[in-house]
Amino acid sequence: MHPPGTAEQPTGTASGPPTRPRWWPSFSSTIRSTALTARLGRVLAIAISISFVTGLLSLYQYEPWAWLPAPASPAWGYRVTQGLHVATGTATIPLVLVKLWSVYPNTFRWPPFPSVKRVLERLSLAILIGSILVQLVTGFLNVLNWYPFPWDFVSVHHYLAYVVVGSVLLHIGVKLPDIRYGLQTKLPEGDVLTERPWNENPESHSVAGDLPPPVTPGISRRGVLTSAAAGIGIVVVTSIGQALTPLERIGLLAARQPSKGPQGVPVNRTAEEAKVSPATIGADWTLQIDGPRPYRLTLAEIEQQAVREARIPAAAVEGWSVDASWRGLRLLHVVERAGGTANSRVAVVSFGAGGFRRSQIFGPQLSAALLATHLNGQRLSLDQGYPLRLMAPNRPEVLNTKWVSQIEVL
Amino acid sequence: MGTWRLVLGVLGVLVVLYGIVNLGVHIPIQTLAWVAVWLVAAVIIHHGVVSPVVIAVSSLLRRLVPDRGRRYLQTALIAAVPVTVIAIPLIYRQGTQPPSKALLLQDFTANLGLLLGIIGAVCLVGYAIRVARKPLPGRAP
Repeated sequence: MHPPGTAEQPTGTASGPPTRPRWWPSFSSTIRSTALTARLGRVLAIAISISFVTGLLSLYQYEPWAWLPAPASPAWGYRVTQGLHVATGTATIPLVLVKLWSVYPNTFRWPPFPSVKRVLERLSLAILIGSILVQLVTGFLNVLNWYPFPWDFVSVHHYLAYVVVGSVLLHIGVKLPDIRYGLQTKLPEGDVLTERPWNENPESHSVAGDLPPPVTPGISRRGVLTSAAAGIGIVVVTSIGQALTPLERIGLLAARQPSKGPQGVPVNRTAEEAKVSPATIGADWTLQIDGPRPYRLTLAEIEQQAVREARIPAAAVEGWSVDASWRGLRLLHVVERAGGTANSRVAVVSFGAGGFRRSQIFGPQLSAALLATHLNGQRLSLDQGYPLRLMAPNRPEVLNTKWVSQIEVL
Repeated sequence: MGTWRLVLGVLGVLVVLYGIVNLGVHIPIQTLAWVAVWLVAAVIIHHGVVSPVVIAVSSLLRRLVPDRGRRYLQTALIAAVPVTVIAIPLIYRQGTQPPSKALLLQDFTANLGLLLGIIGAVCLVGYAIRVARKPLPGRAP
């Protein structure tokens, strides 16, 4: 039974507010129920929490505090957290649609604006719905490298996440009695959710007392949950292959297919996009290392010293990842020769034009990093960062700078 | 419960404000106006277009399809929605990226067709088994 005193007081008689116009929408489906919504909401809250936490972990890679550098192990850490972030976010898109469907009649409560409190609640719901839809849609568009919006994706995605999470917390606070009722009530027995609040509806259980569960002539409430879960499950299983290599073959909805990338690794930013060509690199390319004892390394010297091998997954912020073997020289050796130490902060600068042409690395990732010349047994191709690229474990692909021109010991 | 509601409410408002203030500080005002346009458009498109279409389709099904068959049709449609929603942008964008990105190289129209076919077939088989096991009274041979 709905706990008393948890909803607003009825604004009309048991047959409904008399002032309600005849044309006002009414909903007769018996499938919708607070019991159904609460179950959907619970899953949604878990999904949003996972997306938020993994999103913050990803952000930390971009802006780590000096006293707490991003770790280098496990090497597959970012692969898991960001794969989870994108998979959860993708699955949340249909989940939100089902959740919103389940409460759609609430939009048509009569009167629409009975009190200041209700107006504020509606405003907070508008913020919640708008922000979560924009957050999920733009996140998915970013996975597709599609930017039909005029803002910097990372900043807005980051700060809008707080708007989403804050609105969810507020929403849970407002709806806590309903959530408790919904989760404590058996799915088939919950009050029908229509545009009329349960306490104004003479046919709701909580008002009418012991009644047989509402009849659902077509699909049952359990059926809605099962079929939605099946559809969302199909989405996850057929898209996760971009991070979970064994499932790549059934990745019918996977945006990326890592095995189709050149040298077995997809390219996030091509040489052409970064305006890098053999001409910009030049035949007499040398690596400039700046620090207390600056020096230069020629291509021949680098290739001679590039004997260290490591298996490091390439893992991108767009959620794709794949294991790969790399060969190169230890960045730390290069840094130490210039007078730096394992405690130095190092900038790796690229030929490439545009964003991310310079990344900073320090702490455990610096100690574990390679300046790679080979990928999966072959000399790096131009798209993969020829002549030299940074490769550190548990680090987003975009920060593993390609086409390295300069190392600065800061 | 009252204390929990208050704590969640206050915390929620503070976190929202943190997000809004930071958007204001870090995003130029003209760009921010576009974010606002998208936020409003998302609510309008969902509540004004998507939901009414879903309601219209379901009320049409209620009128046209008998209860037992409708159950299986609804199951198929609900399972098809997530798959279709994710596939549409993939279809729209397929083939637009340089091949070395290994991005959007598949024929997602065919993939969507295959997945919808599987969902439809599973529901059809479920319906057929149901009809075979328990024919409607009066129609049984």
